[in-house]
Amino acid sequence: MSSRADFAAAADDLAIRVLSALRGAGDTALVAGHIDSAPDALAALAAIRVIGADTFSPYVLAGAPFHAEDAAAVARSFEAFPLPGTGPTAPTDERTAAWRDWATAQLLARVGGETTWRVDAAQPEDDRALADTADWQRWCVRMAQLATLAQPGLDGPVHEAARGAALPLSRGVTRSVLRRDFPTAVRLIRWLAWLDHEGVTLPLDPLLALEHVRLLGGESPRTALDLAVARHLLEERIPEATQEART
Amino acid sequence: MTVPAPVAAAARSMADRALSWLHAHRALGALPPGTTAEIADPDGVYKPLGETTLAASVILRDGVAGPGQLVAAQSLMDFTWEQLRRGDMLYERQLRHTLMTDPLEMYAPFARCGYRHTDLDRLLAHRARLRSVDGVELLPNRRLAVANAARVAGLDQDVDWAALTRATWLGATPEPWAINWITAYALTHTVFHLTDWGARPRGLPAALAEYVRTWLPVWIDIWREVEQWDLVTELMIVGASLDEPYCAPGDWEAIAALQHEDGFVPCDGDPVSDDPQQRFKDHQHTVVVTAVAGSVALARAAREP
Repeated sequence: MSSRADFAAAADDLAIRVLSALRGAGDTALVAGHIDSAPDALAALAAIRVIGADTFSPYVLAGAPFHAEDAAAVARSFEAFPLPGTGPTAPTDERTAAWRDWATAQLLARVGGETTWRVDAAQPEDDRALADTADWQRWCVRMAQLATLAQPGLDGPVHEAARGAALPLSRGVTRSVLRRDFPTAVRLIRWLAWLDHEGVTLPLDPLLALEHVRLLGGESPRTALDLAVARHLLEERIPEATQEART
Repeated sequence: MTVPAPVAAAARSMADRALSWLHAHRALGALPPGTTAEIADPDGVYKPLGETTLAASVILRDGVAGPGQLVAAQSLMDFTWEQLRRGDMLYERQLRHTLMTDPLEMYAPFARCGYRHTDLDRLLAHRARLRSVDGVELLPNRRLAVANAARVAGLDQDVDWAALTRATWLGATPEPWAINWITAYALTHTVFHLTDWGARPRGLPAALAEYVRTWLPVWIDIWREVEQWDLVTELMIVGASLDEPYCAPGDWEAIAALQHEDGFVPCDGDPVSDDPQQRFKDHQHTVVVTAVAGSVALARAAREP
């Protein structure tokens, strides 16, 4: 039986592998490697669903070569656990999880290229709460949970909501930093970085905010991955192939 | 953007009840017998007397409170004026200490409401011409306090408001996530003095007003969460003083609900003492702030088309 700690450790393990691939270390099948070396196979598969679309960030952001074994490992993680509800009556938490799965499936299809691995993760239907930023505090908590979607190569209703919400997101970053909730701050800064990458004008400097939370909040593996993705979006050129895939 | 009706309702309740409390408890704020212009501990009783005077003067200036409240405000100013020996104490203090700014700052709300002291007026006019007085080193938001007091008292001064504003924390439009409690008070006071307590909304430069409008909801949110009611209410005055007021009904209703029936408002979420003198000492400032907040928001609501 896998414990909570096993799941957390597995997610950290995958985050560390993704991060080192993002930083250009080695040319190995990182997801397959994560599964093969895991002490707890179920936790290792769960970790893929947790890290989600970020699993592909080395390919999307840094142009790392993609391995077919990795696609197979991602597909297996979808078989291991049920898909969350996407219907009109599904609770918000399930819809949030469904968006994350949708993002993973999108990038699997994109990055996987000619491989036959496909997973069937649908968009939540008619998720109106996404566009309602009046309660910006609560809305930002949800956007922080959706931070893995903040990367090039993905576009949809979540991104459309973010495009119109530079101010609520910036307020969310400010609130999180002042409350010393650094994990949430980092995830929201990632959205600001994504907006900056999209050419949206922001009411605060995302790079300074990012450096501040990095220094004050520390770097757990998953936070470090969020920071690295955000920094890529802010500072570095995204590979041409990915740019084309966006259109 | 206007002042919403629920905000005006909460503001009236806040101002009326806060003023009643200040009036009912005024004796607790009296100077100890035999107090001279030297004042060993100016922050103890002397400064709170000035704060109470300010609240009463803003209510009289705005004139939007009920007739009974206007009478109470006038009575409160009569009381504090008598405490300061009809201005003699301020005059003696300024006479003894040329560079001190508090006699002018204490005098300004009286002068606004027609309480004048001829010798003090002459002394302040002379003092205003001294380069030494202008050169006294103060925090930038304190310089604005002195400049506004001089403006209200009718002293003829050549003030470079833009330069004074640029020197403040707010003037730098800083990272909104790097603010702390004491700096938030510096920010609120910068806005109070530039707008003369909400009467001159355009006294705050447009770019700074936009900056404040952008981040005020966050600052009010985080200090509400940790129950810093005194600061929250000051931030609400700031919102009500903007050219386009920012007054969220939830914030105003929260403070109105927090206020006791007799007008008392706690400064924070800590337990409140049962001792009347201690209660006055700890919370009088917050009641003053509540009265000013209510009056400023009501005045803004009344001035709207």
